[in-house]
Amino acid sequence: MPRKRRGFEEPPRRTVGHLAERLVDELKSDRQSGQPMIEEEEFPTKKLRVNVIWDEWERVPLEDRTATILRAYEQAEGGDYRDRIALASGLTIPEAHAAGMLPYQVIAAVRQTDPVTAEQCRRALIEEGASILFGEDQPQLRFSTEEDADAARKRLAERLPNSEPVWVVTKEVGTVEDWAQR
Amino acid sequence: MPRRLIDRCRPESIREFRASARQRYHDGLALAGAGNRTAAIYLWGYAGEMTLKAAYFSLFGLAEEDLITVPGHIQPAINRGRAAPLSIAWPNQGAGHNVRAWAELLVGVRALAAATAYGPAFAVQVQGCGQSVWQLWRETLRYHKNRAYLYEVRHVREATEWLLVNSDHL
Repeated sequence: MPRKRRGFEEPPRRTVGHLAERLVDELKSDRQSGQPMIEEEEFPTKKLRVNVIWDEWERVPLEDRTATILRAYEQAEGGDYRDRIALASGLTIPEAHAAGMLPYQVIAAVRQTDPVTAEQCRRALIEEGASILFGEDQPQLRFSTEEDADAARKRLAERLPNSEPVWVVTKEVGTVEDWAQR
Repeated sequence: MPRRLIDRCRPESIREFRASARQRYHDGLALAGAGNRTAAIYLWGYAGEMTLKAAYFSLFGLAEEDLITVPGHIQPAINRGRAAPLSIAWPNQGAGHNVRAWAELLVGVRALAAATAYGPAFAVQVQGCGQSVWQLWRETLRYHKNRAYLYEVRHVREATEWLLVNSDHL
């Protein structure tokens, strides 16, 4: 019988070209709002943990999300910076929310007497980066910290004139089941 | 009177996890060979999970035969992964079996110290194996009658094999 020897081949990692390009632009532009939300955490070893929260990942496999993030960093910041990334994860907003990573939400508490409409608020939320994966009619603008949520609330008030009293920051505390399982 | 199977099981430990991971891998191969694709994936998922857990608790400093418990070890590990600086997406549902999160925990905790950090390519590979398995496996597969596609069988087998082959380096 033939004896075949093969080295272990690292499987090719697919990157999603157009998403990598958009991510490169995001990394270079340093925008204050909108998706994707890029969260970097530096360890004492100078290694980095990167979470990219972005609804565009919805139909992209997990490995391809990681490969796309690493490729974008390589293009935007160079190979040395890319090699500092110990963990790169791509999550949609609903996925990050399900994992308890986005407990703060900016909501529009619109009353009939307010000078702005619910539809205007819906559009402003989406422009600010709200996810419509929970439902097109119910955009959700979520954040990991209260500071980020409050900054978004202020931007929304500027984006939509006379809307300042409408915007409210809420914090989710989870379900009883969540607490029971902790 | 011979002792029953359950009574013959040893306490859960790194050694037990590693040995049973290999057994479940081979059990899965036999099932795949007999055309039982979903059953094969079902066992391989656990093989990957146990390999990653064994690696994490070994890094954590447990001895090979130290008892591993949910309240004493599994839950604290999950809590550590969820917290900064690791900030791993780790949903409550089936948290103990989340192979993707266990792989990320291992890579992340290693990266916290220069002496233990993986090289970049190896880190991506470990994380990728966890992701590969997690996309096709849940412990709840046992409740479902669906038959896995051949490429799905290959995908999970290759990821599990990689983890087992490299278990000494994890």
